Amino acid sequence: MTTTDDTAVETSVDTTTDIAARKAALRNRLKDKRGSNEAPARAGTAFSIAELREHQPAFRGLEAGHRACQGCGEALGARLVAESAGPDVILTNATGCLEIFTSPWPQSAWRVPWIHSLFENSAAIAAGVEAAMKHLGKSTKVIAQGGDGGTFDIGFQALSGMLERMHNVLYVCYDNEAYMNTGVQRSGSTPHAAATTTSPAGLERMGKRHLKKDLLSIIAAHHIPYAASASVAYPVDLRRKVRRAMEVEGPTFLQVHCPCPLGWGHESSVTVEVARLAVQTGLFPLVEFERGEVAGVMPLRNPKPVTDYLKLQNRFRHLFSNDPRAREEREHLQALADHTIEKFNLRGEEADPLDSEGADTVRRGGLVA
Amino acid sequence: MLVLTRGGYALPGTSTDFKTGTWRTSRPQHQHWAAPCHSACPAGEDAQAYIAQVQENHPREAWETIVTVNPLPSVTGRICPHPCEQACNRGSFDTPLAIHSIERFLGDEARRQGWTYPVDPGRGAGAAVAVVGAGPAGLSAAYHLRRRGYQVTLFDALPEAGGLLRSAIPINRLPRDVLDADITRILGLGIEFRGRTRLGVDVHIDELRSDYRALFLAPGTAKAKAWSVDGAVPTDHRTALELLQEWVAAGSLPTPQSVILHGGGNTALDLCRAMKRAGVKEVHLVTASGLPGPGTEPDDIINVVPRELNQAVEEGITIHPHRTIQRLLFRGSKVVGVEMVALRKLPTKSGRTGRIAFEGTETLLHADMVIPAIGENVEPTGFSTLLGGKEYFRPNNPFGRLDHTPGVFVGGDARGDRGTVSAAIGDGRLAAIAIDAYIRQGDDPEENGRDTIDFAHINLNYFEPAPRVEEPILPVAERTDTAEIDGPLSGAAITREAARCFSCGNCLACDNCWTFCPDNAVIKTTALAKDGSHYVFDYEYCKGCGVCASECPCGYIVMNPE
Ligand SMILES: Cc1cc2nc3c(=O)[nH]c(=O)nc-3n(C[C@H](O)[C@H](O)[C@H](O)COP(=O)(O)OP(=O)(O)OC[C@H]3O[C@@H](n4cnc5c(N)ncnc54)[C@H](O)[C@@H]3O)c2cc1C
Ligand SMILES: Cc1ncc(C[n+]2csc(CCOP(=O)(O)OP(=O)(O)O)c2C)c(N)n1
Ligand code: SF4
Ligand code: SF4
Ligand code: SF4
Ligand code: SF4
Ligand SMILES: [Mg+2]
Repeated sequence: MTTTDDTAVETSVDTTTDIAARKAALRNRLKDKRGSNEAPARAGTAFSIAELREHQPAFRGLEAGHRACQGCGEALGARLVAESAGPDVILTNATGCLEIFTSPWPQSAWRVPWIHSLFENSAAIAAGVEAAMKHLGKSTKVIAQGGDGGTFDIGFQALSGMLERMHNVLYVCYDNEAYMNTGVQRSGSTPHAAATTTSPAGLERMGKRHLKKDLLSIIAAHHIPYAASASVAYPVDLRRKVRRAMEVEGPTFLQVHCPCPLGWGHESSVTVEVARLAVQTGLFPLVEFERGEVAGVMPLRNPKPVTDYLKLQNRFRHLFSNDPRAREEREHLQALADHTIEKFNLRGEEADPLDSEGADTVRRGGLVA
Repeated sequence: MLVLTRGGYALPGTSTDFKTGTWRTSRPQHQHWAAPCHSACPAGEDAQAYIAQVQENHPREAWETIVTVNPLPSVTGRICPHPCEQACNRGSFDTPLAIHSIERFLGDEARRQGWTYPVDPGRGAGAAVAVVGAGPAGLSAAYHLRRRGYQVTLFDALPEAGGLLRSAIPINRLPRDVLDADITRILGLGIEFRGRTRLGVDVHIDELRSDYRALFLAPGTAKAKAWSVDGAVPTDHRTALELLQEWVAAGSLPTPQSVILHGGGNTALDLCRAMKRAGVKEVHLVTASGLPGPGTEPDDIINVVPRELNQAVEEGITIHPHRTIQRLLFRGSKVVGVEMVALRKLPTKSGRTGRIAFEGTETLLHADMVIPAIGENVEPTGFSTLLGGKEYFRPNNPFGRLDHTPGVFVGGDARGDRGTVSAAIGDGRLAAIAIDAYIRQGDDPEENGRDTIDFAHINLNYFEPAPRVEEPILPVAERTDTAEIDGPLSGAAITREAARCFSCGNCLACDNCWTFCPDNAVIKTTALAKDGSHYVFDYEYCKGCGVCASECPCGYIVMNPE
């Protein structure tokens, strides 16, 4: 890694001036960003890629150069969230892959204010920042971020408290279904029968014994104005949900399903395909709650068999062995998917442009929004 | 005062100092494949390219894309059997694009709007080239030579240009005002047309070879193949082509009670339909080919425009597929019917395919008249030395260059293995390119080296089923000899149809790669990138994950190992 300032770890900086200068610099960069996507007018000259990068037609909150694995679904999810949330935000981050791969000192991949403190307190920090903003009379939206470990398990009480106190914070959980940054340990979010380093498949068990926690229902039960699940495979739907959650005054929550090629054991190229199949099989339903009630679902056109999803991932490889328990667990996962489809009434009656097949339709000039 | 330690913060976006591109082991690259519709078009049209322009609402540019290869889209849009649609990848998803409808619409729109051919004959060597035969092959060659700046003289034995398009193809399939207008526009580019001038009678090949730098011969096929069934020939028999040409010219047709046509092409089918409409009660078509369906190999399907076949069946033509006539039934010297036998195209002992008749499947069919429609050979008058006793010209190259006769090129039906308007048009274009190279003493032009993209490369998740537009077709009761049977489609219907195209192997500008790259390594630009797309890869940061390649709907991104 190249740094210009290797020895200067303890150098103190007067933040009043520094922050002002940084803000000015940032404002300039953002002005470019939010300007048109016209290439700078310089007739006859080719533009360098670096120049073009500065003139992208969408706001970029998360920049290239971060250290996520190839094909990381969490990096994609965070990119899409930061893009849709826009520049007027302050982010907090729990410890986890996203925090680590975006902030390798002395660099940061974030182009918006971002703060990390601990694994368990992203929501608490966000609540404090939000209170400070309120005190300053500012409307800047605060977004708390965490992995599934940081959200379902260790950060859960801080999150529940933040929701209960009705802070104006959007909490985004990047759900990659295990503690990835420490080497794939099971979490409350790991699906039933998935193998992790702490729920290995073997003589004793076929992967995780317990079920994936239904966190979204628990969150919704806080009676908050908006809580939804989303997937990196459906970016138009994801963006809409982020914007909706940003608009609402009060606590809102998004659970973004993010495949992890390393932890799930799939090719880096199929990240989006895996995420799409999770939705299309009914294993990861896309649901919106308002004040605790289901307010909308993405209907499934022709639900696919769960094996389409499972067979792409090594964490489910043992379910395709000759062991009679393998068959049983496959059927178990299918039954769980069927149950979810029934519970949320996901089966679409007829083809719908916003169902699991229609929502990602493209045309020349972009996705059909 | 609040103090942050240097270890406590970082400046925004500084991660770009770290070039993650060094992690990559394979790189995404744009690959412009040939779309199946393009590879299958005998005229060489790139339907993917012009459909994209229709999608962008640039119909004129779309038409210009077509006419850089095919000057007659209103003709091919109507009567080409459109192998492009058989090849269309969308056919494996729901139904193929109605490419012919889009093509026809653009051709008709050009005439309506008076768009002029994008031709600037000013450029080029200006040498004189002669084209013999003003059918689609000759017209195409003349047009493409003119585009390259040559002085072209187009000879034809008939008073007017058009070849079989004018003399044989039924008017209700190809209205003559459409044909006339397009031919007038082509000749108007400064092509000298000399009608009523038959090579071998009014001019001679040696004359032409000395007066012109190069020659393109496209006389088509006019000499009926000898027809006999096991040695027997009805004394008064007429061929289908003769009868059709008389009908097109004069409107007259024989009207027996019943008739049997023997053959499996457009000529046979067109005559069947004309006779049926003229009042013949029973019209039978006996053909060795099969009807489209599960039991028929693609190369064994009857060689006619698919919708013509449906219309013929609607009109009450009885088709006897996979049959041949093995005996004529006579009463005295008069034919009263035939004996048919079932047959199939099968591999024979020699390895080649042959037609095998099956003993025990013989049936009798009675009729007042039997008409052969088994095809024609080149009329050798005027060409006999060049033909060297053969039935067709058989050049050994796609450009139609004849060995041993420098500067002479042939194309169209006269090659024997063509048989469609679009193949004739393609031959004319390739010959023009080769003639240009010959006159400028350059090398033969390179052939299109792009591989064809197959269905497996299309990411179907991004497309929705959508019904194909169908042109309005006159009900059977309203069909006449002259009114066009297949009606036109509206601009709105064409736009809807174009939107169904997968854009096989070329960028759809859908933004997927830009949206899905976890590393912001796809950069979007309003300026055109070198490859014509609006996206560039930033290899400083691309980690080579392959997500963009998997999620590109059109197979335009491939991962190449580094
Ligand atoms: C009834 C019928 C229906 C058809 N329907 C279709 C269809 O639906 N779709 C399709 O794709 N194809 C169809 N075809 C085939 C198509 O018409 C031909 O493949 C095409 O016209 C061949 O073009 P060409 O330029 O090679 O020859 P032609 O069209 O035959 O033109 C040859 C020209 O050369 C002239 N000529 C010949 N000898 C001399 C000479 N010695 N000196 C000067 N001039 C000469 C002739 O007068 C003629 O004008 C049909 C053919 C027929 C007969
Ligand atoms: C209190 C505490 N316990 C344990 C850790 C070690 N730790 C760091 S990241 C992490 C896992 C994070 O998992 P998750 O929240 O799911 O995020 P992911 O890395 O999967 O994105 C753990 C256990 C820690 N930093 N703090
Ligand atoms: S381990 Fe998983 S979540 Fe973490 S960076 Fe790699 S792919 Fe992303
Ligand atoms: S889908 Fe479009 S590009 Fe692909 S073969 Fe069909 S017409 Fe051509
Ligand atoms: S998605 Fe991005 S990082 Fe992955 S191969 Fe494509 S350009 Fe490279
Ligand atoms: S993903 Fe879409 S925008 Fe990107 S190259 Fe493919 S077609 Fe073009
Ligand atoms: Mg996790």
